[in-house]
Amino acid sequence: MVVIYVLDVPEFHPVVETCRDKPDCTITRPEKGYWRVSAPSEIVLSRRAMQMKPAVWYGLFTGGLNGEIAEFGRDEVRLIGTNKAL
Amino acid sequence: MPSETLHQAAAQPTAYTAERPYRTREVDITQLRRAQEDGIRLALDGVDHSARPTWKLRETIEFYRDVLGLPLVHTISARGWGPPGHPDFLHFFFDAGRGATIAFFYYIGTDRPARYEPEDHHFYSATHTAWGVPTREELEKWKTTLEARGLTVSAYTRHEILESIYFRDPNGYPLEITLRLRDIDVLDSRDAELTLEAAMQVEDEHRAEGDRLRDIDTVWRRKAKLVESLIAEA
Repeated sequence: MVVIYVLDVPEFHPVVETCRDKPDCTITRPEKGYWRVSAPSEIVLSRRAMQMKPAVWYGLFTGGLNGEIAEFGRDEVRLIGTNKAL
Repeated sequence: MPSETLHQAAAQPTAYTAERPYRTREVDITQLRRAQEDGIRLALDGVDHSARPTWKLRETIEFYRDVLGLPLVHTISARGWGPPGHPDFLHFFFDAGRGATIAFFYYIGTDRPARYEPEDHHFYSATHTAWGVPTREELEKWKTTLEARGLTVSAYTRHEILESIYFRDPNGYPLEITLRLRDIDVLDSRDAELTLEAAMQVEDEHRAEGDRLRDIDTVWRRKAKLVESLIAEA
């Protein structure tokens, strides 16, 4: 399981919007100001698809990440599940 | 008698020069009482001035006053400030809007020590001055006007709540002009608290194990835990 918490502010909304098109992603509406986006095994995000500037892109998971970053490039990030402690 | 000796002979100790612990004693956070304990709420009313040393008198004045166009609003010119060896100096202030100024000290007859030379490094650039403008049009006007005046200015850089341009002054000091993209929400301040709480927790834990915090991923995972706890609260 991979979970991203996304602060409910405009600059991070593209994360939620792009995940609406991903069949294995489950999106829960904001509670206490955080969207919850989860997937059983993997989430891949594209910077270009989200039209996100690099300075925001590299802070993508500042809302919280239950998972592990397998790859974090300039244009694509791949998240996988992890056993690492939160 | 050399002028330095003359200055020293004239210097009288004052509270400012003789009572030095406020400058020299290390701040031990564990010994300090918290605001919550005395219930006194202290508040600031914006920036009055920030100040840096300069070893380029004419270039600094011409850059801030004549190129950026910031009004020169105050100058102090003084014999050394009392302590032995303190050079004579000029201290001058340029208006940066809303009552804030940017100030410089020019220490007469001194050379810039090597450690004050500018570097192309993020540690160095972390100490910078960022001025606000109210609209995107104003930000664009600064960029295009400064470029037309011959200055090298960065591309527009969009951060989470800021959009900025960057350049340097003749001393190499990094300057930023920035537009607030939106108002700061109560969500932002609580999120800021959670991020830093997560960071402090994992850093403390790593230190306790003789290790150090090595990546932001570790902070983001702890943040997830804190956010989960927040959501689970009734």
